[in-house]
Amino acid sequence: MIPISMTSTSNSADKDTNPVLHKVTLGERFLMVSEDEPLLVQLERAGITVEYQCREGYCSSCSIKLLKGTVVYLSEPLAWIHDGHLLACCAIVKSDIDIALY
Amino acid sequence: MSYSTFNRKHFDSTKEPMFFGENVNVARYDQQKHPIFEKLIEKQLSFFWRPEEVDLSTDRKDFQRLEAHEQHIFLSNLKYQTLLDSVQGRSPNVAFLPIVSLPELETWIETWSFSETIHSRSYTHIIRNIVNDPSKIFDDIVNNEEITKRADSVSIYYDRLIEMVNIYNTMGTGTFTIPGKGEITVSMAALKKALYLTIASVNVLEAIRFYVSFACSFGFAERTLMEGNAKIIKLIARDEALHLTGTQHMLNLMASGKDDPEMALIAAECQDEVRNIFIEAAEQEKEWAAYLFKDGSMIGLNAQILGQYVEYITNVRMQAVGLEAHFATKNNPIPWINAWLVSDNVQVAPQEAEISSYLVGQTDNSLDDSDFDDFDL
Ligand code: FES
Ligand SMILES: [Fe+2]
Ligand SMILES: [Fe+2]
Repeated sequence: MIPISMTSTSNSADKDTNPVLHKVTLGERFLMVSEDEPLLVQLERAGITVEYQCREGYCSSCSIKLLKGTVVYLSEPLAWIHDGHLLACCAIVKSDIDIALY
Repeated sequence: MSYSTFNRKHFDSTKEPMFFGENVNVARYDQQKHPIFEKLIEKQLSFFWRPEEVDLSTDRKDFQRLEAHEQHIFLSNLKYQTLLDSVQGRSPNVAFLPIVSLPELETWIETWSFSETIHSRSYTHIIRNIVNDPSKIFDDIVNNEEITKRADSVSIYYDRLIEMVNIYNTMGTGTFTIPGKGEITVSMAALKKALYLTIASVNVLEAIRFYVSFACSFGFAERTLMEGNAKIIKLIARDEALHLTGTQHMLNLMASGKDDPEMALIAAECQDEVRNIFIEAAEQEKEWAAYLFKDGSMIGLNAQILGQYVEYITNVRMQAVGLEAHFATKNNPIPWINAWLVSDNVQVAPQEAEISSYLVGQTDNSLDDSDFDDFDL
């Protein structure tokens, strides 16, 4: 099961000076992402297309595979999250992760 | 067995399955077996809107300027959506309320179905605004063969479940001869199977069947045509995205066995049948796209592109209920549609049409051409 954090983001002072970055591996590619924004926007900025609709955690359209690593949600999404999956629109990456699109 | 509007038994509803346990007695939400359904209720209520808030005066002029084959596309989609919401405005209530056993789920079903009645009323609002005689359009819904074919597919599972539950509530389980229908065997397993298939077919209705029509509405609006209609469709699409999550939760909870262990067996047994419900619906929707474009396409959309989109969205929806994707299509052929499907609270699309507050009464129905600068079909 994916741990879901109900609290808001960590210590912002720390972030400004020393942003926490994690490596997201997608097949042969990888990118570095921060904890400041959900995964989806950061993938999009890197030119990676992920399906989405609501961008608010209730439609499940942005569900992708989480093969390894940890993500959290600032509030529990309404959409069902299958084991081994994440909702890109609202997942905050908390460790290096491996993902797969369909 | 027979339905009671206020079950006198003492029981703990958090120990009941979603369906076919005790009839709900006290509508209480202080303790919940599946709190997700109350969250869906809250979200749905936060989405509340009224069709009359959207100004359609420009749409009337736009409609008159559409070419005949574009009017056919527009009106046919409206008819189909009217059919779908006619079904959805009543059927969850009629089919599921007599068998539901959790207060939070009962109220979600009522809230869900109520929101469909807003959709239905919005079609009358749209049609009144664009044609002088709305009855011509509404009357065709029960005459037009392309529509009635689809009416059969969307109502067959509901009707079967309702029939079996009626028998069960009056006669209990057993094999019965029903005049005009022959022998029907009603067992708890058969009832649960009918329920599971019905929920799958409702998921398909809301998660796939609306999307060809949505794509056409937004395709017109991308050309700054029928923008009032697009605002309404955007609100409907937002509701539908929530509804499909409701049925995905029901299906996934059932399949997981966490709600009712017997349901997990039935879900496993029905897997191929459910796959076929998705695939058949996708094929029907592709045929619908071909019917829409029989006399000509619209800029940026044709039967082939829409067919690929149907396949793509069907894959997404199948995976959401734990099924393998069926179609080879890997990419969304009309990615611009997502900017229209995004929730209103997130302003990402330049062409995002504003939705006014009901206090103001009507929205500004004009958009600058510059609002569409970023767009290419
Ligand atoms: S886009 Fe709807 S749940 Fe992520
Ligand atoms: Fe609807
Ligand atoms: Fe719906």
